[in-house]
Parts: sequence; C-alpha cells; structure tokens
Amino acid sequence: MAAATGGFAGKVLRVDLSTGKISTQDTVEKYGDMLGGTGMGYRVLWDEVPAGTGPFDPANKLVFATGVLAGTGVPCNGRTAVTTIFPTVWPKALVGSGHMGGQFAAKLKYAGYDGIIIEGRADRPVWLFIRNSRVEIRDASRLWGSGIRRATLEISQEMGADCAVAAIGQAGEKLAPMAIVANSVSHSAGGVGGVMGSKNLKAIGVQGSGAVHIAGDKSEWEKLVKFHLSILGANNQHVVPSFPTPQSEYYNPGSRWVGEPGKRWGAAEPPIEITGNIYDLNRIAFRTNSAAFFLGDNAWKHTVRGNGCTACPIRCHTIVKVPSVAAKYGIKEMGQNTCTGLLFGRSFFKKLPGGLKGQTALEACMVGMHLADDLGLWCNYGQLQRDLMKLYHDGLLKTKIGSDEYASIPWDKYEAGDPDFLFDIIPRIAERKGELGHVLSLGTGGIFSKWGVPEESWTKDHASLYWKMGHPKHHANEDDGQCGVIINTQYNRDSQCHSHCNFVRNGLPLAVQKKLAEDIWGSADAVDAAGNYTPMNAAKARRARWSLVRKELHDSLGLCNWMGPWVASPLKERGYSGDDSLESKFYSLATGRKTDRAELDLIGERIFTLHRALTIRDMGRADMRAAHDLVPEWVYHDKGDTPPFTKGTIRMEQADIARAMDLFYEVMGWDKALGAPTMESYARLGLADVGKGLQAAKLTPGSTGGSTGGTPGSKG
Amino acid sequence: MKRGIHPELIELAAEAAGLEAALSRRGFLMFSACAVGGITALGLCEAFGADAPLVILDNAKGMLLADPTRCVGCQRCELACTEFNDGRAQPTLSRIKIDRSLYFGPEGPTGGPRMQGSWGNGLVVQGVCRQCPHPVPCATACPQDAITDDPKTGARVVNAAACVGCRMCQRACPWNVISFDEQRQKSSKCFLCNGKPKCVEACPAEALRYVPWRDLTREGEKGGVLLSLIPANKAKACAECHVPSGRNPAAK
Ligand code: SF4
Ligand code: SF4
Ligand code: SF4
Repeated sequence: MAAATGGFAGKVLRVDLSTGKISTQDTVEKYGDMLGGTGMGYRVLWDEVPAGTGPFDPANKLVFATGVLAGTGVPCNGRTAVTTIFPTVWPKALVGSGHMGGQFAAKLKYAGYDGIIIEGRADRPVWLFIRNSRVEIRDASRLWGSGIRRATLEISQEMGADCAVAAIGQAGEKLAPMAIVANSVSHSAGGVGGVMGSKNLKAIGVQGSGAVHIAGDKSEWEKLVKFHLSILGANNQHVVPSFPTPQSEYYNPGSRWVGEPGKRWGAAEPPIEITGNIYDLNRIAFRTNSAAFFLGDNAWKHTVRGNGCTACPIRCHTIVKVPSVAAKYGIKEMGQNTCTGLLFGRSFFKKLPGGLKGQTALEACMVGMHLADDLGLWCNYGQLQRDLMKLYHDGLLKTKIGSDEYASIPWDKYEAGDPDFLFDIIPRIAERKGELGHVLSLGTGGIFSKWGVPEESWTKDHASLYWKMGHPKHHANEDDGQCGVIINTQYNRDSQCHSHCNFVRNGLPLAVQKKLAEDIWGSADAVDAAGNYTPMNAAKARRARWSLVRKELHDSLGLCNWMGPWVASPLKERGYSGDDSLESKFYSLATGRKTDRAELDLIGERIFTLHRALTIRDMGRADMRAAHDLVPEWVYHDKGDTPPFTKGTIRMEQADIARAMDLFYEVMGWDKALGAPTMESYARLGLADVGKGLQAAKLTPGSTGGSTGGTPGSKG
Repeated sequence: MKRGIHPELIELAAEAAGLEAALSRRGFLMFSACAVGGITALGLCEAFGADAPLVILDNAKGMLLADPTRCVGCQRCELACTEFNDGRAQPTLSRIKIDRSLYFGPEGPTGGPRMQGSWGNGLVVQGVCRQCPHPVPCATACPQDAITDDPKTGARVVNAAACVGCRMCQRACPWNVISFDEQRQKSSKCFLCNGKPKCVEACPAEALRYVPWRDLTREGEKGGVLLSLIPANKAKACAECHVPSGRNPAAK
C-alpha cells in the first residue's frame, strides 16, 4: 500500500530512448537501501553500465534521482542528483554527478517518481513528457537549436504553467562536456548536459498533482520542521550575522548572513526594508542575499527578492533587476542565480572598471547569466574562466590556436573589462566554435590532452585553484586544512562537499566550535581556525569521514548539502548546537521506518563506498592512493614561504598529508596502502556483491598483488 | 443544525426586500434554524422548502492578507497547509496557492513583458481565500449546503461529511482557491486553521498575515466569473431578497 512508503514517491521511471519503452520499478524494493539521489545513481551505474563505457555512448545511463525528503516541508530540500559517467573527468570519464535545485525534484515526487533512469539514445531529438502516470516521449525537432529559456517556455505552453522543465541548451546539444541541464530559471547540474544531448534528449517536463505522504504523526512532523527552522542560520548554515548587533553575542564579517536591519530589497515594488528581530523565523528569507554577499552593497538596490528551491527558506538565489543592461546590451533586466552561477560573467575578467563589486561587475554578471544559463554552459566551479585567464596571460593561447582565430577574439574588450566581450566568448565555447571553443568546451582536461599542456603547469599554480582530474578545489585547505584536502581527493570531479566548511566557516568563535566538536566528533582537536592549522590527528579524520558521509546522505535524501548539515545553530540557549540526528529523525517520521543516526550514516557510508567501488572498477585499478587521491603541488607551497602550521598560511606539509590519508583510510576501514575498501568493509556495508565483483577483477586489497592486505574494518 | 446565519443580516435582508413589516425577527430566526412552520405563512416556503438552502453567511472574523512583493516563492505555506493539516505534502491540495504563480503568474508562459513569477518580473502573487461576504460564491454554488461558516472564525469551511465531490464550489470561486482532494474525493478550502493559520506561521518572509476580515473581493484580478453557478433552488431564494427595483415594495 502507498501508506507504507511515506517519504518515497514509490516508483522509479525507466525510459529507454532507443526502443521507446517506458516502465516503472518499485523504489523501495529496488533502491531502498541506497535511499535515492546519488545512491540510486551509483547503484544503476554499478548494476547496468559496464566498465569502460564512454559518457556519450548509448550504453551510458543518466539517472535523475531525488530523495525521501524532497517535496516535503523539510527546510532545504529540493535537490536532484544527476548521476552518469561524467564527461569532464580527465584523463578518463568516470562516475560523477551534477546536482540541481529548483522545483524539479518536488514535481517529480508529486508525479509519483523518486527518480528517472534514461537509457539508450533516441534516433531524433525528443523531450520527455511526464504528467503523473502519463509519460510520453515527444518530438523535439522544433525545440532543437533553441536555448533553455525558449525550450522551457514552449514546453510550459504545451504542458501548462505549473510544470518544471529541465532542459539543455545549445552546449548540451553539441555534446559539450562542459554543458549543464537547468530547471526553474537558474538551477543547473553541471557536466551532464552533453550526456543528455548525446541521447537526443532536449528536456524533461514534469508535472505532478500527487502527494508525498508523511507516515508519522503529523503534529510530531510539524514540531520537527519547526525545530529545524529554529536551528537554521543563513546561506551555508552561517549561524552568526556578518554585522554587529545587540541581538547577537557574536558576529563575523565573513558570514553570509548579511541581511542587516536597515538594508533594503531596493528593486522590489515598493522596496522592502529589513526590520525587526533577525532571529524571527518569519524573517529567515531576509538573512541571505547572495548578490549582496558576492557583489557588495551596491547589489541591495538591485535586489527584487530571494529565490530558491522548494521549501527552502534560505533563498540562496537572488533575483536582481538591472535596467542599465537592457539599454546597453539589449538583454532582460532581470537576472537570478547564486555563487559561481551568479558570477559567471564577472569571473572572466581580471579587472573591471569600478572593481569587482562595482556596477560594471554587476553588469558582467547579468550578461554572463543571460548567456550561460540559456546556452547551457557550465563553468566547472569557475575553472573555465580561470583557465582562459591563465591561457591568455601566460601567452599559451597565442601558441595554441591559429592566428586568425586569435585575432578574431576581442581581446581589447577582455583587457578593458568590457562585459561586451562575453557576447563573443561564451557562445564561442558553448557552441564549440573554432579551436578555442572546442577545447574549452571539453573542460580543463581538454587543454592537457588537445594542446599537450602538462597538467603540472596547473597543479603547481595556486592561482589556477586546479586540484586534479580536470577539476578545481572545492573548499579544501583554504577553508579546512587537512580535512579539506582529504575531502578534495575523494571524488572524480570537484568534491561538492560542504559538510566540513559549513561548520568551520559558520562564524562562531573557535572556542565555541571546539566545544561543539567535542560533542560531535569526540574531540575539540577536530577543528582548527581557518588558516591557523595544527598537525593532523584522528579527530580530523573522523570529521572528514563524517563530512563525506553526510554529503552523500544529503545528495540521496534530496536535501541540500550546501546548507547542511545542521550541527551548529544560532541559538545561544542551546550553546549554539544544532542537531546531528536531524536527518534520521526526518527520515524516520517521513517513511515510518524508525532509523537512528548511526543507521542512516551507515547508509551514507554505503553510498560513498559504492562511489569508490565504481571508481576502482572503471579505472581498472585499486591503488587509489597513488592513482586517484591526489593533492596538487600548490597545496604544499606558500608565496612568502611561510612554513606550514603557522598562523596566516594555508600551506600544508607533505608528510602530514600522508599521515592524514593514513588516518582517513583507517577510519574508513580501508586498506591504507591502496586507499581501497577491503572485503570486510564491503560486507559490513551490505555491498558484498560489489566486493565480490571487484575481487573477481582483482581490484580489492589482497587480490591485487600490490596490496598490504586488509586492515581490519573500523567501527561502524 | 446551526447554519451560522446572523440574525442581523437577516433583518437587513428583509429590510432591503421591504418585507420587514411582514416578518417577525423570531420568524427569521426560525427560518435560519430550518424550521419551516414559522415561515410558511410568509410565502417563502416555496423558496426554502423543508431543507432550506443556505443563502446568507455572516462575514468572517479573520482572513489572510498576502503581500506579493515580499513573497519569495518558497511554497513553505503550501506545504505547511497540507503537511500539518493533512499529513501529506501536496501543493495541489493546498488552500493557499503559490505553485501556479511561481514561474509565470496569471499571464502564463507567454514570454511577453507582462509575465510575472521567476521567469518574468519576479513577482509571485499568492492565491488566498477572501472568505467572501454574502453572496459567498462557493457556498452559494454548493448544492449540498456543504460550505458553511465556522462559528469560531467565520471561515467558510467545507463540511466533508456533506460534500459529495461535485466540484461546483471549485468552479464558482472567482479566485480559484478551492482545492479538490483527489484522495478523498472531497473539496477542500481555507478554513483559517481554526484561527491559527499554519501558512502564516510558516512564511519566512512575513508575506502573510492573519488580519480582521475586510472585503477584498473587489480588489485584484479575479480568476473566474462571480456567481456563475447558482443551483435552481437557491436562485429562487436569492430572488426573494434581490427584488428587481420595480417590484420592490419599498420603491412604491
Ligand atoms: S468563493 Fe473562493 S474566495 Fe470566496 S470564500 Fe469561497 S473559496 Fe474563498
Ligand atoms: S489558513 Fe490554514 S487552511 Fe487556510 S491556507 Fe493557510 S494553512 Fe491553509
Ligand atoms: S511561505 Fe510566504 S514567501 Fe513562501 S511562498 Fe508562501 S507566501 Fe510566499
């Protein structure tokens, strides 16, 4: 009965574009032990996509999956993980996922699905129509060639205004590895747009009128939701404001809680002034203003309102209105996005008239969003722009592309910080025009492979922020010392993990953080102040493990790991603690299956370990430590040659990082020499079949010849 | 059965119809309590019959007031409305309507300059029940008299036991804010959460308030045609009060 599967929508949709076959499977039966999201994605790839499959092969699958808590009133749900053989992973495509917010996840649940598995390749452009149980593959020949905006409008006209459309733009159609799929204006999943394009799938439109049932008592649910709201901070779970106020014991200028009373959403009609108590739960949406955080005070007067995913009160996307761009560039005066998406245009420029927070910077952002979010181009967390900058300023580019092509690019505008430059460069890359467009659309790896540039020139250059395998760092040693380093070694794309940095950057003084750390990770030594690091210890390894597990949990429950976990809070009366068991409490009430923190974390670990297993399988080697878990050279250097473990440097020490990896593999129960899960760890996590498969391929410790033998599994 | 018809309203109506001299206050009270005997002599029996239709509801005491410029489109109100009241997350069941305006607003996906919502000018206009004054379109349209006013708040509420799921109220509401619960095959509308609106509590942008009732039915764009649906027996009842000016005894 449906009531038994509270939280889950109940079904997974499977669409074979080669044959046109549409079928469903029972979610809980088939994927319940992986929850959903990335867990479901990894399982599908493990079970169904053979090692060696290329990203654009019809045999590759594309798994759009959300989770148990998506579509409910749990704050910060609304995430869809799109898992596939990820095309920007270098030198060889491996498992990876893009994550998008918006309303797609909720709509999918209301339509009755926890996920969609896309298989095969259509013989002509199509889009997928999903209205509750009615699912059709429809002709997209008239949509092909159009941007995300037009495709969304046309599909919405066909289906009705209340459908969520996830579409690719021209970049995806042209099979650019650097392509996104986007829904709800500004919510995109990077790297997977080209995979959709390779399947001739322009878009998925989904409309649902059903419900997500809460199995538990509704008043208990209401209490828990309200409790969660009470421990929320602002964007990234920054729990103290960025401004001093008598209302708060602490403040921290680095906080993303910028909604100071007196600031105004100046472009709302009429403008809205922030007033009153900053802790008021009916004012959470005023705490965050990403535009103001990233673009400075000038952005307030352009702010229309916050926007974001279903049920999220944080509103990390900001809607801005900049009339000057309509006159100057003939584009819409409205724009919205957050973080690197918001800064897409600005990030190209080294210098801009008026500085990085001036009006030109804001206009560059508007032009960037206008182009990139319509053509569907990904920035790889800003790596695209940094790559171009480096190629240009190091003089490399001139030697790599033909002189005619080089001369056709308006470098004068680039140098001058003229946003008009973007109208040349962004379509060039998105539509893969010329040598430059083609190579940059491949991602950073393309520069190494196509132009024979050694990877070291990136890994040695701190300014590139490049980490490994074609991707940049994502909250590494600059935020969280060894913990950040460990986390950045674990994925095939950038790590996409925020569990760690959302704690260390939450704005609370170190002493308070250390007190919380004692409760959560068993030792105050689990945290250092950013940029004032101490040598590695076991507590940091535990925190790294916890962070990765929570990341996968969030990605599989439909929760936002950009906001969670919620282990610190703005509540002085709680000693600023949050709740480490929140996810399991929600899971229990939603599904009616009583689960505690340890049990749910075990599922998170299972999911994370399956990602590891897939990576090992597809790389065809188990020596992850040497071949995969790499740290770029720049991490070990400092411009002023300040020694590691000195206040003011983020420089790490090689021997200490080696120890960090030792300790991390140890807490994971993995083989230390290889950095690979042991048969015991696979068995402990209910992945015995996975372990056996790898053992048969000689890809487990003990079966490889190069192993030191399994270290005993650590505690669960 | 309490019909919630305020005696003063009835007197007012009688006055307007020029019938006040012919009727005693007590007679109306009896009528409001569905007692036929007292009113038969007044010539109204044909109109009201043994199962007198409901025509007049007292004004509500409170209502929701929504400020679109503050709305951040989070749908927390919709989810609070259905999760905390019905134990499921389901925007289509919500008695406050955000989802339908979220992307494009009432213009729909035209691509034109008047488009609202996140694809347009950013504005999200919340759809809320006005707790309409007489003649309450949804209540009047209901052939089962299933929509009555809640004695505590005056909210127009659906009596699920009486609702047969014909959806007439849904079609009658000019604001398009009646939901239909497919699972239970019943209509559902804003009942002000018995005086403690969950949606107001849930809004993170102070875009919703619970305020003393005032007539907002003449403001804003309506989604439908006012009183397009009046069951025949009620049309008769309406005619008793709404006398054409020429026939109004008071006009003579
Ligand atoms: S007609 Fe519509 S707005 Fe008026 S009371 Fe009924 S449901 Fe509310
Ligand atoms: S007052 Fe209650 S019933 Fe009415 S819309 Fe708000 S939450 Fe729903
Ligand atoms: S809760 Fe408030 S801000 Fe959110 S959709 Fe509803 S009215 Fe708008």
